[in-house]
Amino acid sequence: MKRETRIALLGLLVPLAILGLWQGAALLQKTPLFPGPAKVTLAIWSNYPVILRELGVTLLRAAMGFGLAAVTMIPLGICLGRVRILGRVLEPLMDMLATLPPPAIIPLVMLFAGTGDWAKVVIIAYAAAVPLLMNTYEASHSIHPMLSRVARSLHLSRIETMRLIDWPSSLPMIATGARLAIASSLLVSVTSEMLLATNGIGTYLQRSQETFKIDAGLAGIAFISLAGILVNAGVLRLEKKWLFWHYRDQRPTE
Amino acid sequence: MTIGLLAEKFRVPICIALVLGGWQIIFALGVVNEKYFPSILTIASAFWQMLTDGVVISAWATTFLRALIGLIGAALLGVALAILSDLSPVLSRGIRYVSDVLQPIPPAAFVPMAVFMLGLGTKLYAFVIILVTVWPPYLNGVAALAGVGQVQLNTGRMFGLTDWGLLWRVKLPAALPEIFTGIRYAATLSLIAVIVSEMLAGRDGIGFMIFKKAFAMRTPEVFGLMFLVAINGVLLNGLVNLLRRGLTGWHIRMMERPE
Repeated sequence: MKRETRIALLGLLVPLAILGLWQGAALLQKTPLFPGPAKVTLAIWSNYPVILRELGVTLLRAAMGFGLAAVTMIPLGICLGRVRILGRVLEPLMDMLATLPPPAIIPLVMLFAGTGDWAKVVIIAYAAAVPLLMNTYEASHSIHPMLSRVARSLHLSRIETMRLIDWPSSLPMIATGARLAIASSLLVSVTSEMLLATNGIGTYLQRSQETFKIDAGLAGIAFISLAGILVNAGVLRLEKKWLFWHYRDQRPTE
Repeated sequence: MTIGLLAEKFRVPICIALVLGGWQIIFALGVVNEKYFPSILTIASAFWQMLTDGVVISAWATTFLRALIGLIGAALLGVALAILSDLSPVLSRGIRYVSDVLQPIPPAAFVPMAVFMLGLGTKLYAFVIILVTVWPPYLNGVAALAGVGQVQLNTGRMFGLTDWGLLWRVKLPAALPEIFTGIRYAATLSLIAVIVSEMLAGRDGIGFMIFKKAFAMRTPEVFGLMFLVAINGVLLNGLVNLLRRGLTGWHIRMMERPE
């Protein structure tokens, strides 16, 4: 326990050193367009009500997009993974989908759906769909050969195999996909707001640049980061709680 | 089974036919206004016209090279940091703090703030790409290096490998498949970072062109350029896969071993 805390404290030196370098560079530059951490902290204090309000809008949108993707892509991924021939044949299609970056569809969605809420939800859902689909597919088709053999030698029925072997063994990877998808829907929600500016934290960043308030913009970025950390930590906690057996097995036996 | 094998052999043409066919059916049904959903032919001719212009080729090359160079730099940096982190728990913890803070920030958010600090040139792209792309190879690398089985490590020790030999001959090869999963994800991120940067701050590249055409309501060109972006992704992914097959062929063969 004591060693853990020492590592955690000593580790703080790395970000502190980076902040120090940044502050030093800012002091050398002496221009308001290159604010250091100190100025950003002040900007956080004076701007936080606006930032929090805009961030709420963004988070709500991200959640809607992710929800839409989760209910459609996890079942689809399992289908493609289990019906081996379907998955193998459609693999290039999935790769194609995976390689079209979400921001590239923003201009297109803008043509179809304008710059409103739904346009952004669609873009976010697309962004979340890719990691969800890929991970669910990978997880349900690359189950270790040994596990299938165990199932066969225990004479498990198809349904039993799915429930007792396939689902638990692919769950950790699906959970990873969901975690990636949540992170990427947060990322893309901000991006879509920057490009299709109406409201939300992305628009706030864009406005800050246009009015040369770089410190306020960086304050906004700090809040995005904080929101991301909190959401990711929450998801990770749920994952550890629900998949405790997976993490228990991963610990090295000494 | 023979039909299955045949379908698998021709899976790329089948996928292409599915996309093109589905597209034309939607177009023929007329559910969406033709102005926003042109036929394949219109898109192809617009695309061809852009290609013969020559502007698109240079924009494509610019974007692709930016993404590729950024990816290579970020992957090497990520693996190097992962090895260092495996040696020093303190450093690992420290970098983890930094990555935790930076990872939730979209590449787009860095662009407007960094424009004033770094200008509009190569420095901006390098900064944005590396800041965003380095984490998947790094995090996968750390996890994989830590997750190498005790049996493998003990076997290595039994053969009298030094710490360095253990890292190079046992841990790194065992970790490579997972690192490559990270690099594959990083390839997508790198392309996103480049395109977004070009959209927000660019004067060249495909990202910049897409937005210009979208605002001019040139739908066929937008579709054509998106196709080009997807090709970029496929190319980048193909390069990563080629490298992965070369370096971790044993793992792939093990996973695909017929029963």
